[in-house]
Amino acid sequence: MLQNSLKSGTRIFTYRNVCAIPKRLQQTQVATNTPATEPENIAVIEERILKHPDYFQVHNLFTVRDLFNARVHYGHKEGSLDDRMRPYIYGSRLGHLIFDLDITAAHLRDALNIAAHIAFRDGIILFFNRNALNAHLVEKKAIEAGEFSHTRFWRGGIFTNANVQFGAVTRLPDLCIFLNTQNNILTQHVAVRDSAKMAIPTIGIVDTNCNPNLITYPVPGNDDSPAAIELYCNLFKAAILRGKEKRKELLGETENTNSSKS
Amino acid sequence: MAQSRLEKIGTIFTRVNGLIKAGAMKYEDRPIWFDLYTAFPPKLEPRFDRPAPDTKIKNIFYAEDVTRAKFHKRTKQNETVNFLDTRRKTQTQNFIQIYENLKTQNPLDDEKLFETAVELLAEQSKNTSTEKSSEATDEIKTSLSNDFAESLDKEGRNKPGVNVDIQKLFSE
Repeated sequence: MLQNSLKSGTRIFTYRNVCAIPKRLQQTQVATNTPATEPENIAVIEERILKHPDYFQVHNLFTVRDLFNARVHYGHKEGSLDDRMRPYIYGSRLGHLIFDLDITAAHLRDALNIAAHIAFRDGIILFFNRNALNAHLVEKKAIEAGEFSHTRFWRGGIFTNANVQFGAVTRLPDLCIFLNTQNNILTQHVAVRDSAKMAIPTIGIVDTNCNPNLITYPVPGNDDSPAAIELYCNLFKAAILRGKEKRKELLGETENTNSSKS
Repeated sequence: MAQSRLEKIGTIFTRVNGLIKAGAMKYEDRPIWFDLYTAFPPKLEPRFDRPAPDTKIKNIFYAEDVTRAKFHKRTKQNETVNFLDTRRKTQTQNFIQIYENLKTQNPLDDEKLFETAVELLAEQSKNTSTEKSSEATDEIKTSLSNDFAESLDKEGRNKPGVNVDIQKLFSE
């Protein structure tokens, strides 16, 4: 029954990875109870890792030059500026807003660090994108990272009414990464509000016309250009894979004992 | 799970922390991001009602803007740009580079410099276009249909399947 309900829970995000995920979900639920008796248990390792400011070395994943080459600094026109985005902007070039890439880099490094940590703790990560031009790219990268994506119309209540909608107890994602936070130029993605409701932390690429307030770790930058989206996707993928690799490396033995028990 | 869904009050951290303090949620049942948030808090608190700062936005101008404007006025902009390409320079960027080079070599009067730069650019674009057309003939060999046929070959699906005559099947 548990297996079934978990399976139906994963159905929200994508049909792929179904065979791999239920095992992973099961492990996290079991893992929280058992390793207390283990010699080096997960909690101790996690605490040790948290003391390190950049344990997964995400700062060396990119340089400001990479951001510039991927056209991350291009914002929208001045007229569509959301006032809450003012501190992240370097200036206005003939009516077009330009992001300060030093600020963007600092925010992006924070976000990558969080993504790597969540992946290390075996959290579920969900990528969002409502731009049809980049939808396939995002879905592909999410699969490559072994995570989930949602790039289509957001039916209300996927998070807030999940247990009813899917007919079973559903595990929600532990981190939402928004590659753009807008549904269209006028309205914000409903999932931004919903993840705040359900206490799920969010990472979001916020352009000059977006509202960064509800995003836990906002990254100011261009959210339209395919080159920029490709860069973000590659960076998040790399960070997530680093987190997962470290988990395998450090907890390989404890995980094996867990899976043999369950 | 015990939960507060009022996203407009406080942050996700203060809400969950409140639940833990009040005893509605056990500390052991805290979400996995809780420790991360305490260790690496965001630069600004993600509150719904965080007021917008009143930062002035400055204008960006460069010294070569005058030449650029002159160039744009003179020539029609009709080039196409590949959105995934991160290296290629636009025609205006090439022009400015040529112009600046000329300026350092021989400081003539601006009018003459401009004219020679335009000529040099035209020559350069001619050369690159001929190079490109020779490249393009090579690229034709790797077209989409060719790739498709190749991948089918790899999987061994392109081979004729089992010989089945449909008419034979139904005649019996």
